[in-house]
Amino acid sequence: MSKICLQNVSLKYQEQNSSFCAIKDISVSINEGEFVSIIGPSGCGKSTLLSLLTGLNFPTDGYILLDGKQIQGTGTERGVVFQHYSLFPWMSARKNLIFGLKQVYKSKGRKEIEEIADKYLDLVGLGDFKNKYPSQLSGGMQQRVAIARAFAMNPGILLMDEPFGAIDAKNRVILQELLLNLWDNGNERKTVILVTHDIDEAILLSDKIIVMSAGPGTIKKQINVEFKRPRDRTSLIRSEEYTNLRNKLVGLFYDDLIEKIGGDEVVL
Amino acid sequence: MRRILNLTNVLFLATLILELFPSKRDGINAWYYIGLVLLLEIFYILNVILKKDEEKTQTIGDVTAIVYGVLIIWEIFTTKTDLADKLLFPSPSSILSLLISELPELLKGTVSSFQLLLTGYILALALAIPLALVIGWRKRLYKAINPLTKVFGPIPPIVYIPYAIAILPTFKAASIFIIFIGAFWPVFINTLNGVFNVDRRIIDSAKALSVSEGSMLFQVILPATLPSIISGATIGLVMSFILLTAAEMIGATSGLGWYVKYFSDFADYPRVIVGIIFIGVVVTGVTFLFDKIERYLLRWRK
Ligand SMILES: Nc1ncnc2c1ncn2[C@@H]1O[C@H](COP(=O)(O)OP(=O)(O)OP(=O)(O)O)[C@@H](O)[C@H]1O
Ligand SMILES: [Mg+2]
Repeated sequence: MSKICLQNVSLKYQEQNSSFCAIKDISVSINEGEFVSIIGPSGCGKSTLLSLLTGLNFPTDGYILLDGKQIQGTGTERGVVFQHYSLFPWMSARKNLIFGLKQVYKSKGRKEIEEIADKYLDLVGLGDFKNKYPSQLSGGMQQRVAIARAFAMNPGILLMDEPFGAIDAKNRVILQELLLNLWDNGNERKTVILVTHDIDEAILLSDKIIVMSAGPGTIKKQINVEFKRPRDRTSLIRSEEYTNLRNKLVGLFYDDLIEKIGGDEVVL
Repeated sequence: MRRILNLTNVLFLATLILELFPSKRDGINAWYYIGLVLLLEIFYILNVILKKDEEKTQTIGDVTAIVYGVLIIWEIFTTKTDLADKLLFPSPSSILSLLISELPELLKGTVSSFQLLLTGYILALALAIPLALVIGWRKRLYKAINPLTKVFGPIPPIVYIPYAIAILPTFKAASIFIIFIGAFWPVFINTLNGVFNVDRRIIDSAKALSVSEGSMLFQVILPATLPSIISGATIGLVMSFILLTAAEMIGATSGLGWYVKYFSDFADYPRVIVGIIFIGVVVTGVTFLFDKIERYLLRWRK
């Protein structure tokens, strides 16, 4: 049985006196321990889909099963990194982590929780900034705090919406590796759903890539990424299989663009 | 030279030179006036010497200059020319000496006023904030209560005074009640709107952490609403002061408002002016303290 199963899921946003269909008729199944990336153009409903999995929104049609049961709301077994970093502005970086950790580890002592918080802030490279308020941090730093909070809570399922979007190339690689280590810590793999605009990131990290298209948001294609792990960036990127897969994804991503500007290939 | 002979210092010299002219009124001890001017100048010069913050020092200089200007005009029209009515416009020195001799009486009044003010005000905060948090958070309750606040909120609380005095057993209870009402509405309405306008993303983020209902209200909604609560509390405080003095002028036998009203009944205008100045000083002190608290509570904001 799959960990997460979406059956003909649609969501219509209710507006003043009309409704807007953000995603339509989506069916996917995701296995336990699977690393799934979602790519697609802006506005195609990626965040909406994630909000359904988070339990903040509910399908207007179809249903979503998590461990065989319909999602009733949010839960600490699902960790979320929002596209907007969504830290609490009145708490320091460290307090933000501690607040999150307290919701998961109800019985753990204060000291233990603080240690976990400090450890994860160090891991994302913010050890020197832990007592700063979000307003005193750059966008990329806030994003890293949000990532640290989700990682520290150690959920079985990670839902991440463009978590590395505002982060520089070097830190991005560090955080991708951190995510992979966390995902597969040797004994039990987490289930990860990652929204990204970065095709290379999707290939390097995922077992499966879901390509969405807009108007209304639907799944265009699901592609399995068979490269064996651990994946070595440099050699993988040079391989022919990689280039082929990448071209295929770029083609799927930009085919309407190809129609618009003419020609039959987009070079990126 | 430019730095020493600036406007503030020139006016300082003018205030002193003025004292070389003979006085037109009798029995005035000019040393009160001179003492005040010297104190102001020492304060100003200390600021210039210590000069932590250029802009702030400049502001202090400008404010001091304005005070000197007012003192000069005041002194000219009273002590020096006696153009103003003696009964209605006492000289700076006589006001100052009276202020000092009346200080024990005024402090007693302050204590009595603050008992009423703080009781009413704190009661209002303690009730309005939690109530508004809960009501604002429950959409249905909010929709039911919001129209009511639009009707009752704008009624000027002063109109309740006669009725409150009639229905409540003591004057004290009546004035606390009035102050309570006056502070309650601004705090309540501001908090309510604050809760309603909390960034959805903050709420979503808290929900994603599966916080309990209590945590949601007091660890998330409350701090997120704090800026609105504080602006409501500031308006509430001003309202409380107005209502306090109004109530005291109507029915009290002690307090700062009573002091001013009592002596104006005897046409003792020097004491009336002393009372007004003293109230000004007290309100300034409270506002200053309030600003400090606000800045501390909202230190996370940019
Ligand atoms: N709360 C809402 N109410 C109404 N419409 C909404 C709401 N949220 C999103 N939408 C609409 O739903 C569609 C999908 O939005 P969504 O945020 O899921 O896109 P996305 O794929 O995450 O885009 P991006 O890559 O830019 O983040 C958009 O057309 C958007 O206008
Ligand atoms: Mg999005």
